[in-house]
Amino acid sequence: MSLMNAARKILLALAVPVLLVAGWWLATAGSASFFWPPLGQILTAFADTWFSARFVTDVLPSLGRLLAGYLGAVVLGVALGTAIGSSRTLRGLLEPVLEFFRAIPSPVLVPILMLFAGIGDGMKILVIVSGCVWPVLLNTVEGVRALDEVLGDTARSYRMRRHSRLIHLVLPGAGPQIAAGARQALSIGIILMVISEMFAASNGLGFTIIQFQRSFAIPQMWSGIILLGLVGIVLSMAFRAVEARLLRWYTGLRTAQREG
Amino acid sequence: MIKPRAALSAAVLLLALTACGGGQSAAPEPGSSASGALNPVKVSVIPILDVAPIYLGEQQGFFAAEGLKLEIVTAQGGAAIVPAVVSGQVDVGFSNFTSLILARSKGLPIKVVAPGVASTGVAGKDFGGVVVKAGSPIKSAADLAGKKVAVNTLNNINDTTVRASIRAAGGDAKNVSFTELAFPDMLAALDKGNVDAVQVVEPFLATAVKNGDRVVASNYVDTAPGLAIAGYFTSQQTAAGKADLIKRFTAAMLKSLRYATDNPDAVRQVLLKYTKIDAALTGSLTLPTFPTEVDRASLETLAKLATQDGLVESSPDLTELLP
Repeated sequence: MSLMNAARKILLALAVPVLLVAGWWLATAGSASFFWPPLGQILTAFADTWFSARFVTDVLPSLGRLLAGYLGAVVLGVALGTAIGSSRTLRGLLEPVLEFFRAIPSPVLVPILMLFAGIGDGMKILVIVSGCVWPVLLNTVEGVRALDEVLGDTARSYRMRRHSRLIHLVLPGAGPQIAAGARQALSIGIILMVISEMFAASNGLGFTIIQFQRSFAIPQMWSGIILLGLVGIVLSMAFRAVEARLLRWYTGLRTAQREG
Repeated sequence: MIKPRAALSAAVLLLALTACGGGQSAAPEPGSSASGALNPVKVSVIPILDVAPIYLGEQQGFFAAEGLKLEIVTAQGGAAIVPAVVSGQVDVGFSNFTSLILARSKGLPIKVVAPGVASTGVAGKDFGGVVVKAGSPIKSAADLAGKKVAVNTLNNINDTTVRASIRAAGGDAKNVSFTELAFPDMLAALDKGNVDAVQVVEPFLATAVKNGDRVVASNYVDTAPGLAIAGYFTSQQTAAGKADLIKRFTAAMLKSLRYATDNPDAVRQVLLKYTKIDAALTGSLTLPTFPTEVDRASLETLAKLATQDGLVESSPDLTELLP
């Protein structure tokens, strides 16, 4: 029965993508339009373009910067968010400022970041951090603030140390919220990975796609866009796996509550 | 999350939209000539020094005299202009010739209809060049080998001509590492030492010289005498379907280019209208030449450089591209 269920789930998940790909294939099969090449041509270009040295010279550097920026943003966001969420004074002081900075789109900061951080990988990682940190930070603040007060009082009356309170109560308690913020940050990270490579770049996935566009290598450009989408899927699956592991207690609790 | 599902559905949607756009552009323009009014001609340009003649020509009424109502559509980069021309959203576009050679080599049906801008041909007194900091050990183009040089677009006219410049000076052009930077960001990057040299055009060249930076190479001059840099082009479809409109555009454009050549002060004045160039700087700019013929030899040189540097596999048929 559960096998049947699993098969059904997979079928359901694949139905729409398969339909869309089939639709795309049929719609472009005889396309003579330069900017809308047949999907078959795009897929051939995909294999030629990305299963080559380009994977090492362009895709890996991009992913490296994305991971560095993303992890940096998560660590920074959780650290600051926990501090701000736990202190009423800090919250009152910083919340308006945070909203202000959050509202600034990171792409407009690029020219300024370039003045501070140069034009190398550091600048691109900073661009990613500057955009990804906000959902993590703000969700952490909310998560920490919304902790069950009774639990907090209990921990205090048992004289749990600050450190163990943080590890055993605050972070797990805010965990689901932090995870929600981190998931949001991941998609922002992919977007900023591409945008950061539009400035002062000499390698990277986003950079390569723009190069293809400028040199009118249209099937290759499309293949890069598809690759970006695939990167998004793989990263979101990896994220879910990590999340399921870290928040096992929470999903278990939710399931139990729903069944009870 | 960018999922392929979303990407695909967006693609399908876009496909539907462009399909409509294509149909629209193929339809004849109703009533434009029947009313006896001016025929609209849409021209897409990047608002830079190079296109001053078209703004001057509009001011002087050269386009109206040909029965044209000029509609200038500004684009941020040349990359957006080619698709707009090919899809028929605009009638004419402005682009550098290396880009057009690239497009033509990929089979895009485009055709040059008017010259645009060319190098002055005078080393050290051109409208574009390679600039280093005053104290830099780089003395000539040959010294650029092994250095980090910023260009505004990689794999295009500026890096190929800088390489040509290095080769002409006897340096090793393979060894240069190019980085892409927008012109407005270049001088700051040079100043901070993020790059060793920058390839700039006016007005950034005049700004650099004013700041005490040193011009080490005039890459367009070193490439070929009076190198043609850019021009106006249309699609084969528009050229065939609106032959008369394009003919009148070319006539008005040639008049404008001639006027710009004869009235450099008017060029400097009109810049203030469509660019954000500092008024104090316009007097010290080196203006390019505004030729009245498309120089085939220049395009041959650029095509050779594009092939040599691996931008294209083989040079396209230039006769197809030229008017």
